[in-house]
Amino acid sequence: MTEIEVAGEMLPIRESLLREVEVAWERLASPGTWWTGAERLAIAAEARRAGDCGLCRERRAALSPYTVAGAHDSTSELPPAAIEAIHRIVTDAGRITERWILSLVEGAEMPALEETEYVEIIGVIAVLTGLDKLHQGLGLPPRELPAPVPGEPSRQRPAGAKRNLAYVATLAPEDVGPDDPNPYPVHGDKNIHRGVSLVPQEVFNFFDLDVELYMKDHEIRDFEHDFRAISHAQIELIAGRTSALNGCYY
Amino acid sequence: MTDEAAVNSVPHGEILMALVGAVHGGDASEMAAARRAVRDSMGDAAFVDACATIASFSAVVKIADGAGIPLEDFKEEATRDMRAELAINDFQS
Repeated sequence: MTEIEVAGEMLPIRESLLREVEVAWERLASPGTWWTGAERLAIAAEARRAGDCGLCRERRAALSPYTVAGAHDSTSELPPAAIEAIHRIVTDAGRITERWILSLVEGAEMPALEETEYVEIIGVIAVLTGLDKLHQGLGLPPRELPAPVPGEPSRQRPAGAKRNLAYVATLAPEDVGPDDPNPYPVHGDKNIHRGVSLVPQEVFNFFDLDVELYMKDHEIRDFEHDFRAISHAQIELIAGRTSALNGCYY
Repeated sequence: MTDEAAVNSVPHGEILMALVGAVHGGDASEMAAARRAVRDSMGDAAFVDACATIASFSAVVKIADGAGIPLEDFKEEATRDMRAELAINDFQS
């Protein structure tokens, strides 16, 4: 155990959690697979602003978000389709449809967003949400976004990725190529692990953090041992209620 | 089992649910009260791990919904009756 300072008090925190929080911030600021470090931080900044967007509020209130047109409140230089994706994932992810994703990647209403770029946006937002919610829960203000790490994205799309599981293409464990990062031996290969596997590094980026926020895959059903300062039952109660409040029924 | 019964069957379930609700709602005074209740009743290490769990499940929903992943077969099987009772499949996008 180590400690974290919250409002002048020192709280105990697992070293492994604190380490992965720092790794997650470094990765957010570093060149990804399809976006530069500066662009990844711009995605994070836009994600933090999306909650104040008037169009998103209107869409949230509508029976269907797809009936409300307009422009997002944004000053970002990211492409319009990226802004649309960020705002929807942050404010109304539960009503995302396959058709909406296809409209983004086919450029139906605005210049197209590559499917790989969309998937990396999901990864960035998921990591940022984990980091920011941890701070919010503890009573800490959101951490200031770091400076971007220079460099170019690697732009490596797994050749074996297919659209046969989710709304986006995913990489099945049996289709991982020799040049693809392979997160499955480390984190498992349930559907949730495959969600952002079109950009395999994003699986590492999210689950390296998530196994410390929650638990490692093999720990989840090991009811003989407690791995946290709260019990399995308490963890699952929190998990269930948090998921329900977020409208997630996965 | 009802929601209330599930909460009551877990030690400190009620104060943990209050923390989840307060963090989701974002009201500063509710969060402060909920944090204090968990820390006083369960200790600071438990409080930190409760916050970490909330963070995890607030984040993972972005992957599940953003990518549109389906339930695994074993989960679908386990929840078939419940989903039928709720007619939840009628709301698939």
